Amino acid sequence: MTSFQSTLGEDAGIADELAQSQREISIAEFFEKNKHMLGFDSGARGLVTAVKEAVDNALDATEEAGILPDIYVEITEVGDYYRLVIEDNGPGITKEQVPKVFGKLLYGSRFHKREQSRGQQGIGISAAVLYSQLTSGKPAKITSRPKGSADAEYVELIIDTDTNEPEIKTAERTTWDRTHGTRIELEMEANMRARSQLRGYMKHTAVVNPHARLELREPGLEEPMKFERGTDQLPAETKEIRPHPHGVELGTLIKMLEATESYSVSGFLQGEFTRVGGKTAEKVLNAFRDRHFGRELSWSVAASHEAEIKDAIVDAVSNKGADATESFASGIVEVLGNRERTCRFELAEIVDTVADRVEDETGRTFGDTVRENAIEAAWAAVVAFDSDATVSTNEAVAANGDAAGADSDGRDRLTSDLYVIVDEATSTRKDDAVIHGFSERLARRLDADAGEERRFRFTADELHRAVEDAADATVEYDEVSFGDTARENVFEALWAVTRTVPDDLPKVKTVAADRDTASQLLEAMRETDILAPPTDCLSPITDTLVEAGLRKEYDADFYAAATRDAEVHGGDPFIVEAGIAYGGELKSEGSIDLLRFANRVPLVYQRGACASTDVVKQIGWRNYGLDQPGGSGMPNGPAVLMIHLASTNVPFTSESKDAIANIPAIEDEIELAIREAARELKSYLNKRRSMQKRREKQDVLGRILPEMAEKVAEVTGREPPNIDGAMARIMNNLSVDREVSGTTVTLSVENYSDRAEQPEITDILSAEPQALNGDASVVDMDGEWFLQWSPSVSAGEEASISYEVPEETDFDVNVDGVDAEKLTVNA
Amino acid sequence: MSSETQNPNEDAREQLIDLAADFYDQFAGGKIPELTLPTRTKRNIEYDPDSGVWVYGDRTSTRSANSVRGARKLLKAVYTIDFLAQQLDEDRSSTLRELYYLSESWDNTEAHFSDQDESNQMIEDLEIVSEVTREDLHMRPEESGATLMGPLLLREQTRRGEREIHCQKDVGEGGYQIPNNPDTIEFLDHEIDFVLCVETGGMRDRLIENGFDDDYNCLVVHLKGQPARATRRITKRLHDELGLPVVVFTDGDPWSYRIYGSVAYGSIKSAHLSEYLATPDAAFIGIQPEDIVEYDLPTDPLADSDINALESELSDPRFQTDYWTEQIELQLEIEKKAEQQALASRGLDFVTDTYLPERLDAMGVI
Repeated sequence: MTSFQSTLGEDAGIADELAQSQREISIAEFFEKNKHMLGFDSGARGLVTAVKEAVDNALDATEEAGILPDIYVEITEVGDYYRLVIEDNGPGITKEQVPKVFGKLLYGSRFHKREQSRGQQGIGISAAVLYSQLTSGKPAKITSRPKGSADAEYVELIIDTDTNEPEIKTAERTTWDRTHGTRIELEMEANMRARSQLRGYMKHTAVVNPHARLELREPGLEEPMKFERGTDQLPAETKEIRPHPHGVELGTLIKMLEATESYSVSGFLQGEFTRVGGKTAEKVLNAFRDRHFGRELSWSVAASHEAEIKDAIVDAVSNKGADATESFASGIVEVLGNRERTCRFELAEIVDTVADRVEDETGRTFGDTVRENAIEAAWAAVVAFDSDATVSTNEAVAANGDAAGADSDGRDRLTSDLYVIVDEATSTRKDDAVIHGFSERLARRLDADAGEERRFRFTADELHRAVEDAADATVEYDEVSFGDTARENVFEALWAVTRTVPDDLPKVKTVAADRDTASQLLEAMRETDILAPPTDCLSPITDTLVEAGLRKEYDADFYAAATRDAEVHGGDPFIVEAGIAYGGELKSEGSIDLLRFANRVPLVYQRGACASTDVVKQIGWRNYGLDQPGGSGMPNGPAVLMIHLASTNVPFTSESKDAIANIPAIEDEIELAIREAARELKSYLNKRRSMQKRREKQDVLGRILPEMAEKVAEVTGREPPNIDGAMARIMNNLSVDREVSGTTVTLSVENYSDRAEQPEITDILSAEPQALNGDASVVDMDGEWFLQWSPSVSAGEEASISYEVPEETDFDVNVDGVDAEKLTVNA
Repeated sequence: MSSETQNPNEDAREQLIDLAADFYDQFAGGKIPELTLPTRTKRNIEYDPDSGVWVYGDRTSTRSANSVRGARKLLKAVYTIDFLAQQLDEDRSSTLRELYYLSESWDNTEAHFSDQDESNQMIEDLEIVSEVTREDLHMRPEESGATLMGPLLLREQTRRGEREIHCQKDVGEGGYQIPNNPDTIEFLDHEIDFVLCVETGGMRDRLIENGFDDDYNCLVVHLKGQPARATRRITKRLHDELGLPVVVFTDGDPWSYRIYGSVAYGSIKSAHLSEYLATPDAAFIGIQPEDIVEYDLPTDPLADSDINALESELSDPRFQTDYWTEQIELQLEIEKKAEQQALASRGLDFVTDTYLPERLDAMGVI
């Protein structure tokens, strides 16, 4: 929708002027002007889209009610118009709902749900009503009989395009022979040029909905097209799921934060999202803390400084008596000395613990003020840093190379600590002086940003910047290189010694009110590893039923299907399925038929724009035994390939829902599903080919050998010999074949006999075989390589090995352990 | 492998029919017909110390009717046997090329040869298993056109009767043309000191023009490239029957060494006939890689295929001698090759006045 904004400082009159031409436009009016977006851009297509929307709705409605769908579609010519009737045996729609379902755009039960369903936005069927009304001027006629109701409701309605409200023209009670169901009748300007798409849509719908009975009548059909049920099994019922933390956008998150009844962020996460329990929520919260508060850098306490820290604590405590003070100070220092590193909040905890203990032991009270003072004094000693101290030591180090001497005058505790970390994180080739210089600059930089109470709290970004700055300065002043890898390693090492702070996070209301904070939460949610969403919100067809669907509608020789495990994209789980039918009555010329489905709905148009088409074209189909001109693109041959994407949110390229968008995660799964099914096709085709070869061989031998016998008899002047024995042996044998493709050699053994065989195969090569794939051994014999292989091959089975050799390698194969008559060596 | 029996045609015919009978018996015994042959590859030839030539080793390959390819081969074999037997019966002969075209007339299309290599190979197969030479099967190659020139008197049995021919006095500049079956020749008299086999026509003509055959009492055999069987056979007979030393003069490249190899040691494809064709005592004059260096001959660089050929010769059992290993390795090192005619760079008479006499002297031939 166009909006006009007046610009400050300009002629104020313009805004007023423009305002006069600005008015609200109804959604119906908007779509009236944009009907192509919904698939109603031409008469031919409009008809298909209307059928599609109505059938989709009917399938959803029947399944939801647990009824096996029985859907009837009829198209008739009525003067200049076409009349479209769609009937289902669904649960029916109550009188009150009818106008809303059919006569109001964006009314639906599904838009807000995370659940797999055919329709989603509630646009489809009302758009069809709108299209019919715009082209023919006739109202939509709807008959519905709810289950258990004695009569049916008959309603004629149109949509008021100004208000997006249905307007009922006629409403009456009527009788209907169906016990329950809905019937919609639309008249529209249309044509049947898209007849093949229409029939294809019905047929494809029958493939992916083997539980549905469909019937299509249209003027071009002499007999109605009927698609019978292939199974009585309804698709598994789907469950609605809450959103997944990885799948929400910032706007949605803020809306959810505003709407929730939870008080704490933890409660919000656990209550509003799927797969978030106490533990996961805690992980998210810690990640949120790291972003919101930053993490505290911890520091080490050298043994030589313990006395100094102790003195500082003693000085900070007054009026507690010498023993208690001593016990308190030494207790703290002892704990510090035993720890590798400590940060500010940890020190506070230590002080509290020790204070409590000393209170118990001595009866003295260590109040908050005393504790605060002790913490401050001890921390000041731990992270003591006087930036002036570094200059002289820097020079000293540069002169004598003694890195550890940095804090000799006792005012810089940071540089030496950082030095150890940096030295370990950077490559050994770095000069000591450089590392020291860098550590010192980093110490100065961190100290400057140490913040309130010198807590050394940094977010990842801030720490990154500090490292960058120190590295840049080192490069500039020391004239040495300090590369990205070194910087990253130093950062990683520092980040590893930071700690998540225990501070209390803001409450939901605060987070909702501040966009930056909400964004920190969102980042934390995305970064945390969270279990993939549950998949019971999805209802895949399942590989058995995919195969059954194909079997039912296509008369082929071979069927294969594969259903992948669920994956997640943007918080929405999805499942990809693929099916292949091959041979039989399928047309063998031209490219294969590709059937695309999303949530059991056939995708009819925009095949070229669909991710699934792209994936199919990228696959090297020759590997799987299909012809593919040029080695890419649509393969050729008598095959039907179906791809089904089931998801709680199918990413379409446009509102008309014709093509799946190119999402890498989804494309990957489509490819894997296709390959899984195609592998079965390949082994079927291989087997078929080898059987065919064998048949051909039998044909040829069956012809040649009698001729040869006859000729032999002629030459020797004897009676023709009986060759039955020889023929029988030939037809029942073991064959060893070699296939050379470039540098790859495959040896295979096929056992056509009726018992297991264990041939001993020796392949003598003039070059050493590489990349041997199979259970064979290779022996070098004076420049010749003897490859030995003894596969055990059961009756009717096949075994193979492969290896790589340079082209023009000589082969000499020798097979023992099998009767010579039973052996065909073609190697 | 004898052609000296009473009725050589009948003998050869019998051998062929026996082959067919083997197939018959295999059929009748319920077995799948097959034909076992020595494998004809470089790796399956071995030195036979008794005869001093290279013959096929123990490795065999089997053509069995068990596969389509094998069955077709055997069917063709039977048709070929039928044809050859008939040809012997009628005492006629045909060329290898004729056999290829003739197969087109056979009633069974499966038995037609697909190319001449196939029919040539079939004859080789049959000659190996039947132990009858191609000549005795009355199969001729195309005339190779190889010639002799030198002080030799011989008698040839031609279709028009016996002819006595002196290979210097009775022939023109072109010399005496070696017939396809040199076993029809009888040596009568000679004044030859040694036999000189020359690879190229140009060099052969140079030697004749310079009167080398006269001056040195030498029989010049023109090999015409890779020598035909008849050429190798007559060379062997000259050596064996007249006790003459044989020397081979070729270009200085790997392909020419193979020419020498097939004269001296026998070729891989006809190793079954080595005893009948090879002259193990034949010596190599040159051009040796050593000569290229010594005489500073104009050269061409070795092509990749030359290098491959040289390397393959290093692994060829026929060239596994110190002499050849040294020469080939030298050539690979200098990366050069030279033609016989390169000697002309030192003058047209250089080859006859200097090079050959020096080499022959060094080899102890003169």
